[in-house]
Amino acid sequence: MTVRADGAILVAQPGAPSTIDLTERVSSTASDRFMPYLLGAAAIFSGLLVMFLIYFVVQRAWPVFHSEGLRFVTSGGWDTQLEDSWGGASFFGVRELIAGSVLSTLGALLLSVVLGLGCAIFISELAPRWLKRPFETVVQLLAGIPSVVFGLVGLMVVVPFIESHLVPMNSGNVVTEIPIAGSCLLAAIIVVGFMILPFFVTVASDSLRAIPRSYIDGGLALGMTRWRTITRIQLPAAAPGLVAGIVLAAARGVGEAIAISMVAGAIAFIPNLAHGPLYALLEPIRTMAAAIVENGGEAMDVPAMAAALFGLASLLLLLSVVLSLVARWSFGVFNRRMGVVSDRAL
Amino acid sequence: MLSIHGGGRHGLGSKVGTVLCWIASIIVAAVCISIIGYLLWKGGHSINWRFLTSDPAASLMEDAAGGVRTPMAGTAILTLLSIALALPVAIGAAVYLAEYMNERWWITRIVRIGLETLASVPSVVFGMFGLSVFTLGTFKFLSGSGAEGSQAAFGRSFLVASIVMAVHILPFVIKVAEEAIRNVPASLRQGALALGMTKWRTISKVVLPAARSGIATAVVLGMGLAAGDTAIVWLTLGGSMTMGVDKWWQVGNWIATLRGAGSTLTTFAYFNSPAGDGNSAGAAFGAAFLLVCIVLVFNLAAVVLFRRRNLNGR
Repeated sequence: MTVRADGAILVAQPGAPSTIDLTERVSSTASDRFMPYLLGAAAIFSGLLVMFLIYFVVQRAWPVFHSEGLRFVTSGGWDTQLEDSWGGASFFGVRELIAGSVLSTLGALLLSVVLGLGCAIFISELAPRWLKRPFETVVQLLAGIPSVVFGLVGLMVVVPFIESHLVPMNSGNVVTEIPIAGSCLLAAIIVVGFMILPFFVTVASDSLRAIPRSYIDGGLALGMTRWRTITRIQLPAAAPGLVAGIVLAAARGVGEAIAISMVAGAIAFIPNLAHGPLYALLEPIRTMAAAIVENGGEAMDVPAMAAALFGLASLLLLLSVVLSLVARWSFGVFNRRMGVVSDRAL
Repeated sequence: MLSIHGGGRHGLGSKVGTVLCWIASIIVAAVCISIIGYLLWKGGHSINWRFLTSDPAASLMEDAAGGVRTPMAGTAILTLLSIALALPVAIGAAVYLAEYMNERWWITRIVRIGLETLASVPSVVFGMFGLSVFTLGTFKFLSGSGAEGSQAAFGRSFLVASIVMAVHILPFVIKVAEEAIRNVPASLRQGALALGMTKWRTISKVVLPAARSGIATAVVLGMGLAAGDTAIVWLTLGGSMTMGVDKWWQVGNWIATLRGAGSTLTTFAYFNSPAGDGNSAGAAFGAAFLLVCIVLVFNLAAVVLFRRRNLNGR
């Protein structure tokens, strides 16, 4: 702190570009009375944006919900209905698309939770000190790769691999409804699984790290091995955090459109387990999100079709609202368990 | 009842579990490194001067898909415009959440739930939201008219896409910026207040400058999200690969360019992938190469900024 010749008191502060003159204005200024309202308006506007989103999407979907009711989700036949709607027909059923979204998301979750739990334990417990940061950087990089890049790699690497190594020669004899090629449910599961993995790993490793040291020391003092403290103490204690991670990853997976539309075959079809588990994985799917980008171009000019696409968007929106509330709830359980009073999520 | 000795002191389970964790991590690291390596290798072949400086061209021939000049410009315009729209609101909201709001207020809860929900909404839904709002006739000034004689606006332009993208990245930018503001040591605030500064002066002259590298991290994160998103761009910028105006770089045409459709590197890669209409894998790989470079640069920037923030905090 220095006092200038004219009496100004100058304070240098860490991180600030220049010194501040304290005598400049010390009483409550107009901006002091005005700024909280402006900032509050920004905060409340941001918080309420999701309401606008819901209103504008559901409002445009209203025609299809009004005319179809529950049949919109219980009946099927999306692909043919889409063709017919150019001619003015306006029946829509999205059962296959829902099945596609659910199956691909569950499969991807299975892949990413199995691999991701290993990674999370590795990051928070097992990795040697020098490897920890590089590995976390790699996981962050994976999170930053755009979905179209995942789709491209899936299409050029995963799909040809499945086609040449997994699709049996006589597949046409077993599955007669549709051609079996490399673009399939399995490709979608692999691609989306790796896409959502970093989001699960980040939340899971943060949860594992948030567990108080005393829990682990207690286990070790009782003679448990390091591994048993992980599986019997840390994982159960972190369970709500892990659930939140799974739910957030699921929200990502359900909403993924571009990568899935590139690798999943783009045929509204429910994989048929009667063909056997391998064939069920090799059959093509189309998900709700993928249908929106695939059909959302010129189809938006046909009112009936646009309403159906907005119907799909509404279903996705409903799902993401529910999933984010579940994630919030499990973060709350976790924070209370860890003794954090704050209402904020991790 | 917890059995302490199950599995023995150095039981088999312990070794198998440790090995499995190592294997999972090695798989994940290998996949990530090979995705990036594969793209750098494949895309590197497509990158040449002509590819970078020519415009996309529709062609059935593999080599004649044109270059990425307008998609690159599109990515730059969209990224900068959307962060410019999102940042003022995001910083305002972050300051309010970190400095003014009481966590016990019911309105705080609503805002937090709203932001968390917004962050979990898929980007296709944002795209549909954009089409729903900005095809309204009122918004013709953003994207021009729709079909001949129609009351509706076209709803697809750089301005529309940037606004929708700004909404999409907003919750993420707010979250990181709020974290940065909260990480400013309380002693700085107390010092400023003790010296007689008002609350707003404390925030604007002490807290925000001290949090600036954290806020820069938020900016980098937001720009990375905007540059990497495909679904919003595909729906609200239109599927045409070239700009709506011929000489779009001329100052007089800027407004028309912003009101017109176009493409970014992501939609260019999507369109030209064998799954899209363009079907020119080489061009798609070239665009993916550039995208991965952008991601790497942004990640590196975030890491550097994060380190500097840690030094500041000490």
